[in-house]
Amino acid sequence: MIVTILNVVIGGLLLGGIYAIISVGFSLQYGVARVLNIGHGEFIMLSAFLTWTLFTGFGINPLLALVISSSIVFILGFILHRTLYRSLKKKSATLGIFEGNSMLVSFGILFIIQNIVLLIWGSDIRGYSFLNFPVTIGGAKFAANRLLTLAFAIVLSFAFYFFLVHTRLGKAIRAAAQDPEAAGLMGVNINRVLALCFGLGAMMAGVAGALISMSYQITATMGLEYTVIAMIVVVLGGLGSILGSFIGGFILGLVGSLVSYFEPGLAIVAYYVIFMVLLLVKPTGIMGR
Amino acid sequence: MIKTRFRLLMISIIIISMLIVGFGGSAVLAKDKIVIGFARAFSGMLALTGDNAFTPMAEMWVDDVNAKGGIYVEEYGKRLPVELLKYDTKSDTGTMTRLLEKLIIEDKVDFVFPPVSTAHLYAAAPIANKYGYILMGMEGGAKRLQQYMDQLPYFFSTLNYSVHQVPVLVDILAEKGVEKAAVIYISDLHGIEYSETAVPLLKEKGIEVVFNKSINMGAKDLSSVIKEAMAADVDAFISFTYPDESILVTKQAIELGFNPDAFVVDVGANFEFYKNIFGAEQVEGIMSMGAWNTESTPKADEFAQKIIDRFGREKLDWWGQIIYYGALQFFEKAIEEAGTLDQKVVRDVMASQKFETVLGPTWFENGQLAEECYPGQIGQWQDGLYEVIGPKDKATAPVVFPKPVW
Repeated sequence: MIVTILNVVIGGLLLGGIYAIISVGFSLQYGVARVLNIGHGEFIMLSAFLTWTLFTGFGINPLLALVISSSIVFILGFILHRTLYRSLKKKSATLGIFEGNSMLVSFGILFIIQNIVLLIWGSDIRGYSFLNFPVTIGGAKFAANRLLTLAFAIVLSFAFYFFLVHTRLGKAIRAAAQDPEAAGLMGVNINRVLALCFGLGAMMAGVAGALISMSYQITATMGLEYTVIAMIVVVLGGLGSILGSFIGGFILGLVGSLVSYFEPGLAIVAYYVIFMVLLLVKPTGIMGR
Repeated sequence: MIKTRFRLLMISIIIISMLIVGFGGSAVLAKDKIVIGFARAFSGMLALTGDNAFTPMAEMWVDDVNAKGGIYVEEYGKRLPVELLKYDTKSDTGTMTRLLEKLIIEDKVDFVFPPVSTAHLYAAAPIANKYGYILMGMEGGAKRLQQYMDQLPYFFSTLNYSVHQVPVLVDILAEKGVEKAAVIYISDLHGIEYSETAVPLLKEKGIEVVFNKSINMGAKDLSSVIKEAMAADVDAFISFTYPDESILVTKQAIELGFNPDAFVVDVGANFEFYKNIFGAEQVEGIMSMGAWNTESTPKADEFAQKIIDRFGREKLDWWGQIIYYGALQFFEKAIEEAGTLDQKVVRDVMASQKFETVLGPTWFENGQLAEECYPGQIGQWQDGLYEVIGPKDKATAPVVFPKPVW
């Protein structure tokens, strides 16, 4: 009995950890930078392919590869915001128009990144083995690489929370999220902060992508399914709430694990059921205002 | 005056356009190539399967045919090169059916090639049949289509599937003394039919089926079913899944140290890329569908080398490629034999005659490639090679049982 409970709960947390990282990044981009980034999953995919190449091609440890590939994705996100989204923001009359336009642009980015990856890496399924042995906790067995993912999710999220609450830049980000104009008037370099947020969101996707490549097969077209998960989690957690996304990710993982225990074929159905129930009962999400 | 001039202008426009259409029409008569319509999932969910299965074989066949100058068609007294007219269906069934009709009605192509997946074939077969166009099904095959074969004289199903493969698999497991098995299957037509075929056969052979569970496409965690199978201490674990889930279930079985005596993984495990992901040592003893290898037929070795030279080793598919290419060679010979591009005549040749292909002697029975033509039904990874282990008369190596520990 205890083993079963451990299997379900820890199993859920393992899955939830990856969902949380993905969703926190997505939420950061939407909550602060106001870009509903449909291409979020493509950053995950790109980083997964970079990690795969660094490990299988150059023998670089996936953990080090994670740092390299997520940094590359961060820079890419930062530059994209500094160039594309910034000029789009200038040209948009209102924030609402910008949100609509930036979503459409992110659709374009989705296709561009996906096709570049298809050109470079092709359409084959890739994967590699890393930390693929079982670890026993209280009699229940778990994959070492998935435990690592959970550890990363927790450490990264706490580090990020600390950064937001206790640093000057973190304060600037929170101010920009609440009221970008007032924050700008108070001396916050708003364009830089927004680009930084977009980059950090992309970096989270990068970390997730590297971790995913350790536990899953990867393909050039895998991005969108993760974007969909991020969207469910972000609505579940409350639009724009970073803490909500973090919690939402774990809830989704736990529900998936619980339902899988009884009927594995219904795991994805359960995600959408929660999504619908939540929209009916509390449309603003768990942490929504 | 103005009215008259306008009338004149209109008449001249009509005459000119009739002339253009007329000349265009006569240009068609001077046949200089065979155009084959190829409405297919070049993007979207199904593209991955298509890109790794029939699409490369079709392209290779076109190049091979054109290198010879084309297909000799007696009616025209010359060789006609082949050209593919490609449309992307974006993996959408509705778009596929529309584009297939467009190819037939508007583009008036000479022949059509099939879309990807069992479900798309199911939708395309009646359309091609309605217009009297030959359609050779490639990736996919369904028990449920069998009952309609009489009504679909223009449909030819090439790939082997559940009814061919599962009995051979169950025989192997029974012979090796498997007593308990667990089955998972993907919740689509493919998975459902394989599981539907397998479970009664397993029980018939006295093998207890501990569970038979469906899983979603795109599942992200299969540890619950693996742990359940571990707790039940099954001898055989059978996974009727597509590549994504096939790889995931293998990964998680390794990670959790699940070592049943027989580990059977369906679509995906028959590809060379599967071995590349896990390494030859880890896939040792894993069984999958198929199957052919370089020793299967006299021309198989040369054929495999051709794929390696053109696409690289990781593109090798030890289930379908030889069947797809063999079917195309059969089609080419049927056209030459018919001496015309008339669908009905070519169809009758295909339905009644035998031709030599990369598969050896090749023919169809009631619209399905004859059982004897398949180079094998079940394969197993042994020392980095995909060996045919069943049926016995086609086997290239004995079965490895139990599967070595990961």
